[in-house]
Amino acid sequence: MKKEVFTTKKAISLATAAVIAAGTLTLTGCGGSTETADGTATTLNIYTWTEYIPDSVIEKFEDETGIKVNHTTFSSNEDMLAKVKSEDDDAFDIIQPSDYMVEQMASQGMLAELDLDKLTNLSNIGEQYLDPSYDPGNTYSIPYLGGVEAIAVNTDMVTGEITSYDDLFDPQYASQIVLLDDFRAVIGMTAKSLGYSMSTSDETELAEIKEKLLSIKPNVKLYDSDSPKSALISGECSIASVWSAEVALAMEEVPSIEVVYPEEGAYLFMDNWAIPAGSKNVDAAMEFINFMLDAENMALILEEFPYMCPNTAAVELMGEEYAANLAKNPPAEAIETGEYIQNLDNDTLAIYDQMWTELKK
Amino acid sequence: MAKLSRHTFRSNTLPAITTVGPVTLWLAFFVAVPLIYVLIMSFCSLDEGYNVVFKFTLANYQRLLDPNYIQIYGTSLFVAFITTALCIVVGYPFSFLIARTTSKHKALLYMLVIIPFWTNSLIRIYGWRTLLGTNGWINNLLIMMNLTDTPVEFLFNRGATILGMFYCLFPYMVLPLYTAIEKLDKNLLEASADLGAKSRSTFTRVIIPLTMSGIFSGSIMVFIPSLGYFFVSDILGGGNSDVIGNLIERQFQSGNNWPLGAALSIILILITLLLVKLYQKLGGDMDNLGV
Repeated sequence: MKKEVFTTKKAISLATAAVIAAGTLTLTGCGGSTETADGTATTLNIYTWTEYIPDSVIEKFEDETGIKVNHTTFSSNEDMLAKVKSEDDDAFDIIQPSDYMVEQMASQGMLAELDLDKLTNLSNIGEQYLDPSYDPGNTYSIPYLGGVEAIAVNTDMVTGEITSYDDLFDPQYASQIVLLDDFRAVIGMTAKSLGYSMSTSDETELAEIKEKLLSIKPNVKLYDSDSPKSALISGECSIASVWSAEVALAMEEVPSIEVVYPEEGAYLFMDNWAIPAGSKNVDAAMEFINFMLDAENMALILEEFPYMCPNTAAVELMGEEYAANLAKNPPAEAIETGEYIQNLDNDTLAIYDQMWTELKK
Repeated sequence: MAKLSRHTFRSNTLPAITTVGPVTLWLAFFVAVPLIYVLIMSFCSLDEGYNVVFKFTLANYQRLLDPNYIQIYGTSLFVAFITTALCIVVGYPFSFLIARTTSKHKALLYMLVIIPFWTNSLIRIYGWRTLLGTNGWINNLLIMMNLTDTPVEFLFNRGATILGMFYCLFPYMVLPLYTAIEKLDKNLLEASADLGAKSRSTFTRVIIPLTMSGIFSGSIMVFIPSLGYFFVSDILGGGNSDVIGNLIERQFQSGNNWPLGAALSIILILITLLLVKLYQKLGGDMDNLGV
């Protein structure tokens, strides 16, 4: 569930990647060979989110291992699931499902179990990101990048102290808040503020959540998932509950903006590496995951895509300023107390949809 | 003298197929089949993985009766109605002016309506946000002129949504109106004057009835999209004034319930059909509706 963040840096990196790609094409045209030790060329089919891995890093993998990578992309978990289901079993060797999608695919027997001993770089991942609720023991998935629904406060404009999701419901913040236009995020936040799970299906809890959810209406100035940072930067809103990467970008523009991790525990999302059960290139796929776990390689990725990074060794390489930036590098405590969303059954989903419609009508 | 003979086809089918065939195929593939698919989809159910399964159900139509949904249909129809009325009130004199002007700049005036089409409507809508924001140009100007102390909250309400819809859809009203007014026979206006009608009654009893087809086809082209333009209510309404389009979009995206989204789309299709039927009932000419 990667959230789109567009930066100038990204635009430049894309342009650079295009130039490099063009260059490499000409070079490989001059007789580059991609054969493995036993003399057969291996091709790895990877299927990832768009704008999430720099081409230069994939080329580095090809150069180091001689494995050829065939890269295709998707822009929603559901698209990815549909495609993996409809193609041949061995169409993909690496996929990149988000937290709840790992759970869904694993429960349908679609993912291969991972031999964690082969992942020598696994120790780079911080403790707090391992053994997640959606995949106990990391049987099927290894975390790649993610984010937190954090609170942004413009301290020049807000006098009250905000420490929790619950504070956002305070009537003194009338018409000051920008929220994500995402029903799981807003209803999840409300559930957390009451101490419930973001994926609860308990009817009495849901009734309570609904009542509280509707009470935030006067405080919300707008819902925006595409670029909620704009409303913060322009001064339209002084408080936001949005993805941490958006907060990081808003902080770069407006120094008086601070990031707050809600004390009830925050909404987390994590995108992961996984191998489809039908893959015939499991060894090469494991080699790829291990390569991506390498601290230096991950740091190259972070320079272009500054999402929340579970690879603590890579974050260290990014330097002190990066590590100290709470929006780019959320504190371990926020991850430990945070919660990943789970799939809802159809009836519960209808209840969520109903209260969301009532909030937004 | 050579005998003149008319060419006769041996069969009537072949010429019919070759002339009408391509258009029929086009319409069948790109209009009929998708519409039928939407209709079928609206009766389908979902399995636990949110996949569409072809199991007949009326549950989607039942959910359309949710009181919240009904309230949104109401506000959406209200937004569409105001938008259409605004477009007529502003568009009619405007179209009249360009259609009847004798100025050599007529073509230029006409182009002025079309030129905004060259830029993506999303970008133009975002432009309004820059103009109307609390720190936007208009507010800065108002404050500079001492007309207000605190910025006016233009954005993120129903008014802003209506403004955006009006702005986006205005050309769709002007173009059919222009065509209809352009076609007005000058002799009829003269006849009306000769028979003693004042300009006011010429307008209400001759001009308006003669250009009714333009007003109606413009209204349909404004009314229907303004029920569906979810991006306008998202960007300028800030998600605070959903229209039917938002409901449909949500079911196809985050809600993951395509059959419900299809059932909601059927409502839009029904509204369109109803309006066209109404036009026909009122004696409207279907040939003029196509612009």
